[in-house]
Amino acid sequence: MGKLLSIRELKIDIPKEARILADKMLKDLESSKRPVLEAVKTSLDNSLYNSKVGYLTPGDKVVRTELNVSSVQKLARVVFVLEILLNNLEKGAVNTKRELYYMCKGLIKGNPRLKPLDFDDQPESDAIIDFIGDMLEVYREELNCFANDRGGQTYSQQLIVTETLADGDKAVVDLSTLGTSPFQPKNKPQSLKLRAKKKIDFCLIVESEGTANTLVTMGFTKRNNCIVMGAQGVPSNGVRGWSKLIQDELDVPMYFFGDLDAYTLQNIYRTLKAGSAASLIRNADFSAPNVKFLGVLPEDVKKYDLPHYKVKESDPAEARALKKAKDALENDPFFLDKKNKNLADILRWLIKEKVRCEQQSFFSVDPNDPIKTEKLILEKIKRGSYV
Amino acid sequence: MSKITKSSTAEYFAKNLQQVGFSSPLKAVLTTLKEAVDNSLDACESAGILPDLLVEISKVGAGSTKNTDLIRIVVEDNGPGIEGEDLAKVYGEYLASSKFGRGQCSRGQQGIGISAATTWAQMTNARGVSVISKTKKMRKAISAQVDVDIKSNTGVLKNKETLDWDREHGTRVEFVLDGRIQLNGDGGLLTYIEGTILVNPHMTITYKLTDGDFITVTRVSTDVPRVPEASLPHPHTFKLGEFITHSTLFGKTTLSKFLKTGFSRISDQSISDFVKKGLPKGLLEKPLTALSEEDFKKVFQAVQNTDLMAPSTKSVLTVGEEALSKSITRLGEIDFFAVVTRKPTICDFKPVVVEVALARFKDRNQQNDSPVTLLRFANRVPLQFDKSGCAITWAIESVNWKAYGLGQPKDSLPLGPYIFAVSIVSPFIKFKNASKETIDASEELVAEIRLALIQAGQKLSRHIKKEVKEADLERKLAHIEQFGPILVEGLARIIKAPEARKKKAEEGLKKLLGRDSEAAIADLEAAESKLLEQKKREKKKGIDHGDEDEVDVISSEDLVEEASAPQGTKKTTTKKTVTTKKTTGKKS
Repeated sequence: MGKLLSIRELKIDIPKEARILADKMLKDLESSKRPVLEAVKTSLDNSLYNSKVGYLTPGDKVVRTELNVSSVQKLARVVFVLEILLNNLEKGAVNTKRELYYMCKGLIKGNPRLKPLDFDDQPESDAIIDFIGDMLEVYREELNCFANDRGGQTYSQQLIVTETLADGDKAVVDLSTLGTSPFQPKNKPQSLKLRAKKKIDFCLIVESEGTANTLVTMGFTKRNNCIVMGAQGVPSNGVRGWSKLIQDELDVPMYFFGDLDAYTLQNIYRTLKAGSAASLIRNADFSAPNVKFLGVLPEDVKKYDLPHYKVKESDPAEARALKKAKDALENDPFFLDKKNKNLADILRWLIKEKVRCEQQSFFSVDPNDPIKTEKLILEKIKRGSYV
Repeated sequence: MSKITKSSTAEYFAKNLQQVGFSSPLKAVLTTLKEAVDNSLDACESAGILPDLLVEISKVGAGSTKNTDLIRIVVEDNGPGIEGEDLAKVYGEYLASSKFGRGQCSRGQQGIGISAATTWAQMTNARGVSVISKTKKMRKAISAQVDVDIKSNTGVLKNKETLDWDREHGTRVEFVLDGRIQLNGDGGLLTYIEGTILVNPHMTITYKLTDGDFITVTRVSTDVPRVPEASLPHPHTFKLGEFITHSTLFGKTTLSKFLKTGFSRISDQSISDFVKKGLPKGLLEKPLTALSEEDFKKVFQAVQNTDLMAPSTKSVLTVGEEALSKSITRLGEIDFFAVVTRKPTICDFKPVVVEVALARFKDRNQQNDSPVTLLRFANRVPLQFDKSGCAITWAIESVNWKAYGLGQPKDSLPLGPYIFAVSIVSPFIKFKNASKETIDASEELVAEIRLALIQAGQKLSRHIKKEVKEADLERKLAHIEQFGPILVEGLARIIKAPEARKKKAEEGLKKLLGRDSEAAIADLEAAESKLLEQKKREKKKGIDHGDEDEVDVISSEDLVEEASAPQGTKKTTTKKTVTTKKTTGKKS
């Protein structure tokens, strides 16, 4: 089996590191010392942001897990999953997180002694896999573990993708031949190479995959030399890696178009542009710092008289989003950075006005013109109406 | 102009039976039982007799009204009995009571309830109540049927005869009426009987509900509660109209004498204080009959504006912590309980005493995630309807039970297989309605109930904490046994370590985790000794949890030894922790 294309030049030998770690743990136990595992603390209070770097990076805080009666379960699970991952690496096998969950379940079911390790649901095993990644400071992709693919559906008349398959063969996909069907980058964008048939003017990432498809159906990609991508909500690892690949290989202006609300700005756009606190050690290869926020902007609401409405503060989800927005203005290094003052201003505006405006509101500007949304987007790009 | 007619009290109630607890077939049965039992217990108490009650409720056919059954309700007591000439009054006349407005903490107050039950029976089954009664003086018992003459509000005796009765004194009533039977739940008959058992430790009761067997619950106390003497009303509880009406009872007495003898807490000093607050001095020696309404108003206002001593609390009575602690074990097998009797206090110028009993039961089929069973009492009568509006419910919901180890959704009753019993005793309980179902929630009263609940909660939490620590220790010991070997084996496989290293690591691990369980054992010991202290303190007050001597604090060495024993010892460990301490009585 051929070697998979790697995401980055990895400085450590994972199996070797893992064995050193296991040996150290065993040694500690032999001398009745408590083994300690350390992992990068993946939270906002350990996130740093430098606009020149462009994404969130880890600070120097670590989470220490020392062996005691309460943590022995977690440590036993870590060792159990680590063994499976090491075996995968050795054999060149690849699995999704979900597959690993069921593999663990199967092994545990088949051996009554392992029963106490059993996972109640997938988030439990996911947490262990993430912990191993944070502990070894490697991507979970480097542990041959991939997230389920979601989002990233891509449309273009100019883009040609070359995929290196596991057996070393190459597959070439010309996106212009797909009609209104999207190209799915799956969850291994690193194994793809991009080429443009003709100069591509911009890449538009739309929050709603449905809206991206509607634009394409109405001829957006026919009339414009561009790439249109649907993010499908909070961008998955696949979408983030894919955006990073487009940014690096094609060097085209990239715009994000989504709802005007605190959730979109913080959870969707910020993650796409600068990564997230939970993925601190992966952000370098899973964020596209060049992406601009095209809208919906507060000024658009006024300029195009967009339908918008009040946020219901009695709705717990909405109330939480507002509270999170206030929190972000105080604690999120991304929004605190001077370079992102304009984005922080939008958050402040949202908190003050307590309104929201959806991306689909563009469709209502001129009900007689089915491609009005496209016209407005192009006009905004031309005018430089983005943040 | 239409003619204005005057109707009798009986006519009024006959048309408005829903106001006094007869608003549905279900309630009709419960209310009838309640009124009969209240009367029996009150009668026994006032005669200093330890009550022996017999209750029998059965379906005897179909009811005459839609969706009802014909229900027979029998309540028999060993009370002083009722003289022949009083029977008609007691069972057939409204507002004929020995207790009305006396300011005593008796169960019944006005003399409405039992007459209303007679009316209901008469209206639905065309027959009033059948009574057998015998006093000590009577050689033979009297048996009769009592009906209410609704037009004139008088009782009518029918089929009166005498018979031999094998007891010295007592009363037996039998109602046959339309109704429906519900045993469990808030409005259930069994719930009523359990509540009555709880707050009447001196009562022995034998009951049979529908097809069930006869069940006898014997008394756990031989003290007949002494209902304290009535107290004079406190002037600050009056309104102007009441004040004037009250004065008419005193005829030509002078104002100063009326104030001093008609109310509590008014002394010569207070009278001179009234004068300072604007009572015209000239009125003091005038007879009441010579006072104008204007004068009364001035007097009333001066009295209201003067600070007076709070009323005496001597007029309330309590069940007592000791008796409650014994009585609660009559409701089922108990894991643990906490009881609190507050000192009598004043709420809204009325003497009040609050008592609380909290207990966790082993066998009541209550889910851990369903709300606790709430038993509310006013003057030792269970309140079973409309709990959401009641001062007691409000007080419980305002306490943070999570702090005491119970689950509790926001602003709701806590959860778990517990009984929460809260009893309020006061000669002047303010009910929200005439059928005595909910206690009006004044701020002062809710605060007082809350204090009692918090005290009881703290006591209860000692029991719960000990249990939590026990579970914690057990969990930790189990963790060591389960995960230790898996961890070591996994590590050894990853680095292909030889057997000797694996063995050594396993020993090291046991040593490490043994240290942790020692800490957990110490926590448990601390919790146990706190509980033991509490139990000792309570024992001095007569509250017996029935197990003090057996709370031997387990030695940590034993457990560590067990903890480090080889795989497969888990069951014995668990068993040992349970058997060494019978106090635990918890889930396995």
